[in-house]
Amino acid sequence: MEKKPAAVVEREARVETRDVVEMLRAPAAAPLVPLPLEVLVPEARQQTPAVRQRATRPDCRLHGLGQTKYIDDMYLPGMLYAKIKRAGIASARILSVDTKEAEAMPGVVAVITGRDVPVNSFGPSLKDQPVLADERVFHAGDGVAAVAAVTEQIAAEAIEKIKVEYEPIRPVLDPFESLKLETPGLHAPNPNIYGHKVIKKGDVAKGFAESYRIFEGSYRTQMVEHVPLEPHASIATWDPNGRLTIYSTLGRITLGRADISRTLGVPMSRIRIIATIVGGNFGGKNEITTEPVVALLAKKSGRPVKCTFTRPEEFASSTTRHPLVMDYKTGVSREGRILARQIRLVLDGGAYCSWSETTLGKACILSAGPYQIDNLYAEAFVVYTNKTMTGAMRGFGAPQVCFAYESQMDDIATALNIDPLEIRMLNALKEGSLSPTSQKLHSVVVRETLLQAAQRFGWNGNGARS
Amino acid sequence: MKRRGRGIACMWYPIGFTVAANPSAAVVKINEDGTATLLTGTVETGQGSLTILAQIVAEELGIATDDVHVVSADTDTTPMDTGAIASRTTYVTGNAARLAAEKAKGILFEVAAPLLQVKADQLEVCDRKIQVKGFPQRHIDIGDVADRARGVNGQPPIGSATFNPATVALDPETGQGKPFATYVYATQIAEVDVDDETGEVEVLRIVASHDCGTPINPMLVEGQVEGGISMGVGFALEEEILFDASGRQVNSNLTNYIMPTSLDMPEVVVEIVDSYDPTGPFGAKGVGEPTCVSTAAAILNAIHDAVGVRVTSLPATAEKVYAGIKAKRAQEAKQITAG
Repeated sequence: MEKKPAAVVEREARVETRDVVEMLRAPAAAPLVPLPLEVLVPEARQQTPAVRQRATRPDCRLHGLGQTKYIDDMYLPGMLYAKIKRAGIASARILSVDTKEAEAMPGVVAVITGRDVPVNSFGPSLKDQPVLADERVFHAGDGVAAVAAVTEQIAAEAIEKIKVEYEPIRPVLDPFESLKLETPGLHAPNPNIYGHKVIKKGDVAKGFAESYRIFEGSYRTQMVEHVPLEPHASIATWDPNGRLTIYSTLGRITLGRADISRTLGVPMSRIRIIATIVGGNFGGKNEITTEPVVALLAKKSGRPVKCTFTRPEEFASSTTRHPLVMDYKTGVSREGRILARQIRLVLDGGAYCSWSETTLGKACILSAGPYQIDNLYAEAFVVYTNKTMTGAMRGFGAPQVCFAYESQMDDIATALNIDPLEIRMLNALKEGSLSPTSQKLHSVVVRETLLQAAQRFGWNGNGARS
Repeated sequence: MKRRGRGIACMWYPIGFTVAANPSAAVVKINEDGTATLLTGTVETGQGSLTILAQIVAEELGIATDDVHVVSADTDTTPMDTGAIASRTTYVTGNAARLAAEKAKGILFEVAAPLLQVKADQLEVCDRKIQVKGFPQRHIDIGDVADRARGVNGQPPIGSATFNPATVALDPETGQGKPFATYVYATQIAEVDVDDETGEVEVLRIVASHDCGTPINPMLVEGQVEGGISMGVGFALEEEILFDASGRQVNSNLTNYIMPTSLDMPEVVVEIVDSYDPTGPFGAKGVGEPTCVSTAAAILNAIHDAVGVRVTSLPATAEKVYAGIKAKRAQEAKQITAG
C-alpha cells in the first residue's frame, strides 16, 4: 500500500479524535490569524483630490485575510439554528399542520407555523406575501413552518417530521393562462393582472401609415436567479427589555425594519437592524425573508436564533428575474429612422407582487430603447402565476427589453442593408431629446458610447450584410 | 466549423426609483484632527459603495479617501437610507453625503474666516488645508481649524443633510411625466465564435463603453462592468430556472443551473465615456445595474452575424442555436431545389 504523507495522516487522526457532536455544535468562525498592525495604505487612498482616484476598498483587506464577518461567521452564546419547512407543492389549501413529532425531538427548542405570525403579510407595494403560509400555498417555495434546534442538522431532521395536509389546487404556470378572463382568481381578492402600465406618445397609427417598412417580432426571456455567493441569512436576539436586534444580509434596512415591525407587531423603536457586509445582493436582498421567522423563534425559545438559506432555498424561496414575453412592431423610413413603435410586454409575476410594480414601470418606460421615437405606444401587464416569486433583480426588466429592441434593430439594419452602428447613430437619443414620457433629457451620451465602443472594438463600417 | 460574428447593443437606464420618493440622509462629523466620519444607512453589498461615499465626502472636505471612516447599515446609529437598490447609491446617497459634508465644512469656514481675515465665502479647501480663494499661500491646516472649532468656538463641525431625486408623477392615461432625475447610457460590442456543427457559442471579447457621469472611482466602475457582463453572459447563453409540470423547480442547485465561471468569461475591455451630470455629486450618476443590461443583446446579435440565426428566446443554448442552423440549411436547400 502506498504510504500516506505525514500531513494527511495527522489530519485524519485529528478528525477521528474529535468529538463529532461537539464538532457539529462548534460555531462556524474564521480562524484567527495574527494580523500585521502596520497597515500599508495604498497611495490612491491618501491622495487629494479624492474623486477619480483608484482608491482600494477597506473591506478588500478583510476579504483577502478571510476576516470579513458574514452571518455564517457569527455566533452568539446559546444560539439555536433554524430551518424552514417548504411546501413543495405549487398551489394548495393548507388543511392542517402537525408539529408534535418535531417538537418531541431531542434538541428541538421551538417550532412555529404561519398561525404564530402576528401580522402575516408584507410586501413593498402589494402586501400579498406571508412570512409563513397559513391558509394558502401560492408556490412550491413557500414556507409553512419553522424549527429552532441546537444544531442545524437536528433542525433539518425536525422539519421532515412536520406533517402538513394539503388540498391541492390546480396550479397556473403559464402567464397567458393567467391573463385570460376565465381563469379563476389566483390570488383572490387581487385580480390576476395585478399591474398594468401604458406609455403613449404621439400617434402610432399615423407613424405606421407613413412608414416605408414595418417589422414585427416576438421575444421571450427566462427566469434566472441572482445567485449571490452568500445566501440570505439572519440572526435574531431579544434583550430583557423586549428589544430585538437582528443581524441580516438585507440590502435595505429601512424598509426591512418597517416590514419586521409590521409582521411582528413590535414598534420600530424596539427593533435594531444591523446589516453585515453582504456577499452579493443584485436586487435579491431587498426584502425580508428569514428575519421575522428567527425573531419569533428567538422569542419563543428565549435564545438567539440563526437561519441561513440553503442553495435550493436561495433558488426556490427568494425572488428571481421576471420572464417576459415581448411583442414589438416598428415602422421605419427608407433611411432606417424609427417612425413608430408599438410594444406589448407580459411579465410573469410569479406567486407574489414583490418588486413587480417597479419592474413593470421600468420595463415599459425603457422598452422603446435609447432612441428618438415620436410615435410610441407601450403597454405592459404583470400577472400572478404559481411559480417562484419574481422581484427586484439588477436591471428591473431592462436586460429583457434591451434584448428585444436590439434584436429587432439588427433585423431592421439587415433588411435595409444599413450598418448596425449607423442605424443606431441615426436614431440615438441626443442632448435635449424627449424621452418616451416626454422628459427632456440631459447629459445624454448614447452616440459617444457607440463611437467609443466601436473604435475600441475595431468596428469597420462594412457591417451591413445583404 | 467555427464561425465568427460580432454584435452591438446599446441601452439607457435610469437612476433611482420610478417617481416614488427614495430619499437618503447622511451625517458627516469632522474630527479634531481634520479626518472625518460619515454615517449612512446604506449597505455595502460588495459593490464598493462605501468607498465611493468616502471619496465624495473627502472631495468636499479637501481631504483624502483614507481620512474618511464610514459607519453604515445600523438602524440604531445611522440615518435613514432607501438602500442599495436601483443604482441609486452614488447619486442619491452621494448627494446627501456631499451636502452633509458641505454643512460641516461651513462651520470650519466660519471658524477659519476671522483667522485668515476674510469672509467665509472667500474660503476653499485643498489638500487638507483651508485657504483663501486666489491666495493659496494664506491657509490653515484643516485639523487646526477643526480642533479650534470644538475647543475654542464650542462648535463641533457636524453636518447632516437629505436628498431625494426630483421627479414628476406620470399621467395615468398616457404615462407622460418625469419618472427619473437622470439616466445613464452604454454600448457593448460582443465578438463570438459559433460552432455550426454543435451550435455552441463561445464569447471571445466584449468591449463595453459606459456612462456613469464622473467616475468617482474608475477602478470600481470597471469592477461593476466586469461583474455585470458575467451576469449578462449567463443570461444570454446558460442560465434558466426550469419547472416540472406541477410547478416545482427541477434545477435549483449549482450542478444543474449552469452559470458562467471565470473560464467562460470573455476578454472584457471597459471604457468610461466622458460625461458630467450637473445634478450628481461632482457630476456622478451611477453604474450598478446598467452594466448587465446590453450584454445578452450584443451576444445574440453576434450569433446572428456569425450564422444568420435569430434566436428570439433566451437563453441561446447550443440546442436552440443548432436548431436554428438546421432550419436555415433546410430552408436554403429548399430554395436551391425550387430554383
